[in-house]
Amino acid sequence: MIRPRWYKVLADLWGNRVRSSLVIASIAVGLFAIGIILTLHTILQRDMRSGYAAIHPANMEMSVLSLRTTTLEKVRGVAGVQNAEAARVFNLRAKARSGEWVTITLNAFPDIKNKKINRPKLEEGNWPPHKRQIAIDRYKLDELGCNVGDWLELELPDGSIRTMQVSGVIQDQSIGASGSGGGFFMAPAQGYISADSLGWLGQPEAYNQLYVAVADHAEDEEHIRLVADRVRKTIEKNGGVVLSQSVRASDNHPNSSYTLAISNVLIVLGALVVVLSGFLITNTFQALLVQQVGQIGIMKTIGGRSQQIIAIYLSLIFIFGVLAFALALPLANWASRGLLKFLAGQINMELQEFRPVPAAAFLMLGLALIVPQAAGFLPILNGVRISVQEATSGIRQTGKTSRPSRLEQRLLHLRRAPRPLLVSLRNTFRSKGRLALTLITLSLGGAIFIATFNVRTSIDDYVTRVGKYFLADINLTLERPYHVREIQKSLEALPEVKMVEGWASARAEILRSDNLVADSTTILAPPADSPLVQPILLEGRWVSAGDHNAIAISERFSDILPGIGPGDTLRLRINGQETRWTVVGRFQLVGKSGGYVAYTSFENLNRTVGYANRTNTFRVVASQPGLTLQGQKELGRKIESYLKSQGYNVKEAAAGLTLNENTTTGLDVLTTFLLIMALLTALVGSIGLMGTMSLNVMERTREIGVLRAIGASDGKVIQIVIVEGLLIGIISWALAFLLSFPISKLMSDAVFMALFDASWRSSFTPIGSVIWLAAALLLSAVASILPARNAARLTIREVLAYE
Amino acid sequence: MTGQSALIEVRGLVKVFKTPAGSVTVLKGINLDFNAGEFVGIVGKSGSGKSTLVNMITGIDHPTEGSVRAGDVNLHSMREGELAVWRGRNMGVIFQFFQLLPMLTVLENVLLPMDLAKLLPFEKREERAMTLLEQVGAAEVANKLPGALSGGQQQIAAIARALANDPPILVADEPTGNLDTATADVIFSIFQELARQGKTILFVTHDMTLANRADRKVILSDGELVNEHLAAAFPTLTHPQLLQLTHLADRRRISPGENLAGDHSMAAGLLIALEGEIELLTSSPTGKEKKIRLTPGQYIFHEAPPGETTFQLVVSPEVAESAEALIIQAGALESWLKANPSARLALQEKAANLVDFQPAAHRRRGSRRLV
Repeated sequence: MIRPRWYKVLADLWGNRVRSSLVIASIAVGLFAIGIILTLHTILQRDMRSGYAAIHPANMEMSVLSLRTTTLEKVRGVAGVQNAEAARVFNLRAKARSGEWVTITLNAFPDIKNKKINRPKLEEGNWPPHKRQIAIDRYKLDELGCNVGDWLELELPDGSIRTMQVSGVIQDQSIGASGSGGGFFMAPAQGYISADSLGWLGQPEAYNQLYVAVADHAEDEEHIRLVADRVRKTIEKNGGVVLSQSVRASDNHPNSSYTLAISNVLIVLGALVVVLSGFLITNTFQALLVQQVGQIGIMKTIGGRSQQIIAIYLSLIFIFGVLAFALALPLANWASRGLLKFLAGQINMELQEFRPVPAAAFLMLGLALIVPQAAGFLPILNGVRISVQEATSGIRQTGKTSRPSRLEQRLLHLRRAPRPLLVSLRNTFRSKGRLALTLITLSLGGAIFIATFNVRTSIDDYVTRVGKYFLADINLTLERPYHVREIQKSLEALPEVKMVEGWASARAEILRSDNLVADSTTILAPPADSPLVQPILLEGRWVSAGDHNAIAISERFSDILPGIGPGDTLRLRINGQETRWTVVGRFQLVGKSGGYVAYTSFENLNRTVGYANRTNTFRVVASQPGLTLQGQKELGRKIESYLKSQGYNVKEAAAGLTLNENTTTGLDVLTTFLLIMALLTALVGSIGLMGTMSLNVMERTREIGVLRAIGASDGKVIQIVIVEGLLIGIISWALAFLLSFPISKLMSDAVFMALFDASWRSSFTPIGSVIWLAAALLLSAVASILPARNAARLTIREVLAYE
Repeated sequence: MTGQSALIEVRGLVKVFKTPAGSVTVLKGINLDFNAGEFVGIVGKSGSGKSTLVNMITGIDHPTEGSVRAGDVNLHSMREGELAVWRGRNMGVIFQFFQLLPMLTVLENVLLPMDLAKLLPFEKREERAMTLLEQVGAAEVANKLPGALSGGQQQIAAIARALANDPPILVADEPTGNLDTATADVIFSIFQELARQGKTILFVTHDMTLANRADRKVILSDGELVNEHLAAAFPTLTHPQLLQLTHLADRRRISPGENLAGDHSMAAGLLIALEGEIELLTSSPTGKEKKIRLTPGQYIFHEAPPGETTFQLVVSPEVAESAEALIIQAGALESWLKANPSARLALQEKAANLVDFQPAAHRRRGSRRLV
């Protein structure tokens, strides 16, 4: 037969199921959040590394002029090279289902069937594509709007159209691996074809891209650079010219900066949620044990020793902890799986099969078992210490021998207020310890919620700010270079066009002091003092008219050339020729998620490269300010058709906002992620708030009975309880609002340091505060009404006998 | 029963508690009236159902069967909320453990029912609360929190709170159960004074000394009412014995000239006069006649020897038509005495003395009407 004391434990657990459910939910929700955070943190880092390594990524990627098959064979023989593959990479325009022409990068491989490097993962259809077939990467599939089996129209440089059948949808994790590209999010749609389709597409069967995997030390970028130098020399010896070179370790996914940023947020959130859960659990047990004082007294009366009573309650708490853990673990795993799937899709990573993270489970179990015991121990001890008379009579000497606090004195002097309001007011401040715990719990939850909105706004603010690098309405690319003045003159004849700038651009290799190529960069060259770029300068200044070989570099240069800044010399190899530039400033763009970008003036680049005032890239500003994306696209179509009518071949007329949109898509992933985290925190906060409020009201059940005995109607009882709930809700909101400022700063710094190695000004939005205010008021009221209604339904006899 | 409409009418009250061990019937069909201005002690041993009965009267708990009417209102036909409002205006409740709200001062505790009922204008409430506190002698602790007061002070404050809306009825459940004798005495003095002023006061106690200070005692035993006339006539009998006699007793009218001896087993073994003066003519076997005059509360106890047939007990022809008596027939009484031989003395003693007992049940006092 079960011993009576253990029967009491079970009866306490089962007897008041609503209360037990609240306690378990309060513990479980904190564990749930911690479980999700740690699982995400672990799996994101681990799977991104292992998933990327599994595709056998290229450790170096080179753009090469005149890459012959014989050269490729020689590269394969270079010491340290495990394998090398060549490809022809070129851009065409594809007709999306919407009818819009969008840029697509085609990657043509000679032996596509036996591709060993950057192996794609087939998601749908067939691989490899046969002649005149194309496989599409999944990420921009929506932009094209095509499916497996569809026919995709491609526009060749001469304006002719070819139609290829979509044979498969693949995932290519190597997109954005090159430092000179714009990164994954800037990359256009990607198509994969076999080399035997090249001629049909009007392309020479010559290769311009080299992918090399190193034989060993594939995680050591310094080693890879040394091998890359040998590969370069081999190419040059065989008549090739390396235009750009990027190196990347096998475990360094192109979007790893995002997982780093997400992980940083998760670490901050995780720490805060652990604290939050600790307070939540403490508060819950404080409330629970206050209700048990009478029974403790009875047990003491019949000879229960303190240790025995403590053991009974610690056992009860143990069972609560175990049940909460059993509830939280599968839920956390389930939610983590969903979140990981979402994030993996957004940042182009390949998830391994979901495996629960033992560390997360252990931490959850540890917290489930230790925190509640620690939280409950003091209240149990206090309960055990009170006299039997106090415990059993229901008369608690409140120990008001000490002077009442100033607030209590003020409340005592508040005489003109209606007594029901006074009941609510004084009840709120009666147990200051409990109130403090409740407020800390709710405020912390609310502050994290508000902070996530603030960080989102900071990112949005940054996104808006980044848009000032892309102030033109149309980014126009022609099939071949023209004299700037010619195109300007032609376009400015259109009434819709206000201004046209010719921008030069080049790809360059960044040379280190040891002459090794650190990586490659894109150089953009607007006219000096162009109004179409408003940079975010970290140090120094922007390139001005009259500067000689002046250049401004993006924040990413610091990764490969630590300490580089204004006044330093930057050596860049352009088209095989070394050039020297003076760094005048360092600016912030999209951090590690983008490639290396440098700005100089059109005049400088024109002179260095010898473009003779000719370019194929133009920025067009519309006469009508503030065009929407749709307006810009319409203008783009008009310009394209106008130029075609004038005999120019247009490669692309992209809306400026699209460029901005693509640049900042990665940051949007973060804002979406933060929103999810905000909802998670809100869930913890809400359940915490509801649990705390409900337990508070349960504790007041006896008072509710007394109120009813002296004439309080149901409405009045509920009004008293709601006012108390709302008071706590409002106070907690005010504290949450204040606390959200430092937490916003902390989280914002975590995100921005991960992405940019620099902080960004914290922005504050009223949205999070307003939503939390509404939530706090609503939840406080609901959480108070439910138990108050239950209490109101009880007869007074039951209420007064309530334990 | 007086025939006059009672302030509180309890009819057929049954209360069954469902427990894991099965159903327990705590009240077994209680019928009871309380008239305006009565000061009634409800007594009984622990578990007799007295607190349950009071909880039904205050509406603090619901009966399984039966009704409680106060004035024109059937209490248990109201919803909890409506009942709470009605109670706030008409009935002051006093608890054993005071149940003052700990966050309000004594004065605010007294003001709270006024705020809830809103019978008095806001500005007049404090003045009335202070008057009440002065009346019960708690004015000096008006601004203290309950936690700073002794148990007695808290109960006095609770009485002031119960009086806040000037309810005609006060119901107190073991109001002195948690207090020392001296403090209990103070509380009862307050009750007596309030009763004198016309309040109807019902209080539960297990202390017979305190109960005797009431005008009327209602005794509960095992969920049933003990006949009050029996209880008054035989105060030394135990409550279960009184309850057994209650089951045997028959209240009825007696007619002038009626022979109450008759067949032995059907003869009146015990007769308590209830209404009107009853004159009985007895004749012994020797032919000696005697007249016995019983006023309400007085009784005769007659044990005829076995085989006795010549005893006469005739109601005088001059007795009023409305005269009523409580009669236990000789056969039933004899059987009961066999089971309870020690009770014979109690019955004989009282009969021999013909103790004059004037039940106070129908004493009239001024009272407020229910609102």
